[in-house]
Amino acid sequence: MKTQTYDHNGDPVGFLQKFLRPQTFGKFAFYLMLAGIFFYTVFPFFWAVNTSLKTEQQAIQSTSYVNTHPTLVNYKAVFNNEQFTHALLNSTIVSSISVLVSLLIGSFAAYALGRVKFRGRMLMMYAILAMTMFPQISILSGLFGIVRELDLAGNILSLVISYPIFTLPFTVWVLTAFFKGLPGELEQAALVDGASPFQVFYRILLPLTMPALVTTGLLTFIAAWNEYLFALTFTSTNADSYTVPVSIALFSGEVSFQDPVAERMAAAVVVTVPLVILVLFFQRQIIGGLTAGAVKG
Amino acid sequence: MSSKELDIYGRRDPTRQEQNFIYAAAIFLIAVGLGAITVLIYFILTNSTIKDAIDGDGSVVLAFLDAFGISVPVLTTVMGLVIARLGFQLLRHRTITAARWTVVAFTWMTVGSLVIGIARFFTVGQPDKIAGESGFQFANAITSSSSFFLIAIPLALSWLGMSSIVNTLFHGEESLSSSNSRVAWNLLIPTVALLLVVAVRPLEETFVTSVTNKRFASGDQKVEFVGLDNYKNLLTVRMDIVDCKKDEAGNCEVNERTGKTMWELINRDLLEKGYRTADVYSIGNGRGVAFSGTDEGFILATFNTLRFTLSSVVLELLLGIIIALVVNSSFKGRGVMRAAMLVPWAIPTVVSAKLWDTMLRDNTSGIINKFALDVGLVDQSKAWLTEAGLQMNAIIAVDVWKTAPFMALLVLAGLQTLPSDIYEAAQVDGASRIRQFFSITLPLLRPTIAVALVFRTLDALRVFDVFQVLLGRQRLSMATYNYEQLISNRDAGYASAIGVVIFVVIFIFTAIYMRILGIESEQ
Repeated sequence: MKTQTYDHNGDPVGFLQKFLRPQTFGKFAFYLMLAGIFFYTVFPFFWAVNTSLKTEQQAIQSTSYVNTHPTLVNYKAVFNNEQFTHALLNSTIVSSISVLVSLLIGSFAAYALGRVKFRGRMLMMYAILAMTMFPQISILSGLFGIVRELDLAGNILSLVISYPIFTLPFTVWVLTAFFKGLPGELEQAALVDGASPFQVFYRILLPLTMPALVTTGLLTFIAAWNEYLFALTFTSTNADSYTVPVSIALFSGEVSFQDPVAERMAAAVVVTVPLVILVLFFQRQIIGGLTAGAVKG
Repeated sequence: MSSKELDIYGRRDPTRQEQNFIYAAAIFLIAVGLGAITVLIYFILTNSTIKDAIDGDGSVVLAFLDAFGISVPVLTTVMGLVIARLGFQLLRHRTITAARWTVVAFTWMTVGSLVIGIARFFTVGQPDKIAGESGFQFANAITSSSSFFLIAIPLALSWLGMSSIVNTLFHGEESLSSSNSRVAWNLLIPTVALLLVVAVRPLEETFVTSVTNKRFASGDQKVEFVGLDNYKNLLTVRMDIVDCKKDEAGNCEVNERTGKTMWELINRDLLEKGYRTADVYSIGNGRGVAFSGTDEGFILATFNTLRFTLSSVVLELLLGIIIALVVNSSFKGRGVMRAAMLVPWAIPTVVSAKLWDTMLRDNTSGIINKFALDVGLVDQSKAWLTEAGLQMNAIIAVDVWKTAPFMALLVLAGLQTLPSDIYEAAQVDGASRIRQFFSITLPLLRPTIAVALVFRTLDALRVFDVFQVLLGRQRLSMATYNYEQLISNRDAGYASAIGVVIFVVIFIFTAIYMRILGIESEQ
């Protein structure tokens, strides 16, 4: 004989009913979902690490979930691969220059747009905003023509001159939002004391926006580091000028007749780990920076 | 003696020497302004392609646009006139406004000539491999850049000279608005100039090339004006009703390998006119709508892009909202969770595409196939990236993985700005959680979602990386189609027309976006 218990509403209560009660079930389902989301976002990266620790043979054989014989042979190979080490250097140079140029020039413009009232300001704001959404592909053929005319194809200079197309408007837009958010009193006090607008900018506002500059610089760096379209089009003729994404896409390992799966994953891990570490360190600032322009509207 | 007396603003009259300096600076400005225009005219008149065109060999307008574009001549003329006018103003009156603008002009002319000099130094110095040069060509670099460095010297001297006397010798008061706008433009000039060079100039180059038959690396092929032919070829589309191929029993035949219905061809005379069918969509009863055009590849690429955009944006948004709602609750390790959500975003798209490429391998060395087989989702491993029916799903899945967590972070930022008292009130009134979500959260999040939506749509419409890396030439998006035309076919004119079409589409979306968002301001 089963005995059935009833709650105060007269509804039956059993294990399942207890479990389905909002408190218990809710908590269980919630943590299950969290685990699911965590797994979903992180698993591919984990799998890249896992694959990179296999030998090439293991990587192309029927896979097993756990790698019982991890090996670092791929990492050794990757750092002996000149195409890849060149690419690391190239990407570092191009991204750093892009960041410096954009921050230097962009912070001026952002100060003007965020702090100074002048005729034509709205127009400039709209122009910059439109530029942040500028489709790079649209100017690819025009730019490639210019790059060829200047004889810069297969040279990272072509990337140095073309990357401001996307880094500069982005920098200006994000920094303008930061400048707008600063309190106006400091600046007025300095102006009353006889400081010139430039002194106000250098001495007072720039130090205050230092964190913003760091964040924006980081975001710009990531954007330039990850750029693929221009890099592929302008540098693919010369393996010495590959950037990291091009190098990964056109990766050829030491054994040329087969697709080097494990070695490529090792390269992928090498270029991603610094970015992931940066992101983990600066996650609060990054989210702030990315939403500064977007969410306030 | 009287020239040393100060007025109430602390200003005095210039000495003869200083007056001469002002005259010299003014004349220098006029010379630079008018000189720039003269040099431009000289270059135009001596340009060889334009000369050929005038001799009846091709279009003069096209030759001009090809060699100079629009922005460079227009800007040179306008800036030349503005600078010359400033010089005349300085010559006649010693007003403070003119003086300060003069300082601005000299500042940026100095910087500009130095930058051009450096740029020329590095570009001209590159070894010309065709001419058999190796190593950096210092001699060439120095000859071609020295004139820019030389002119920078008087410019810099004038700049320093003018800024040292501007507050002591010049009269009048400047209004706040005029001084503000001078300061602002002074700060904006580098950005505007750089964007003109790197974005506007290539854009107009693309527009000009799109009406020509220009090809890359085809020797001395003559570039000809072809009008709107490229666009016509690209955008000619028609829809026809076609029947399916019938077997003896009168049923539609199905391709055994792909499982797709087979369709009859469109009219013979249409085929002769160059129409090719890109795709057929069934409308039932054994009939279908055939989309045909003179460039079926572009139609297919457009369909692929639209399908990708629609599916990936909707999925990303839904998944993003769900993830955001889950993560928005307070729990231990929330920081770790948020960091984990940034990981897919931080991985370069190319790397993540290659990563998924490995996971999607078509035998059991691909973890997805292995898992699907072990769990029993499929009975034999699938070729996710080569089977036509699966390619789009695979691409969309990869993009959703990369972007949904980021979308969630945007929504999360929006969620955190929502006031908690509304929810407390709703709780008191007995509204369920689901009711709260639809009546409070969703309406309040609308601006955030709208912005995220348009941003993602713009991104998805120009998708390049995932398609290029995962599918190569098997299946193209609009952007990879453009790339293939440019790089594989070397057809610069046609590729430019595609670029312009994409630009127009994105521009329309951008305009919509700006209407929705507006720019937060004191409007």
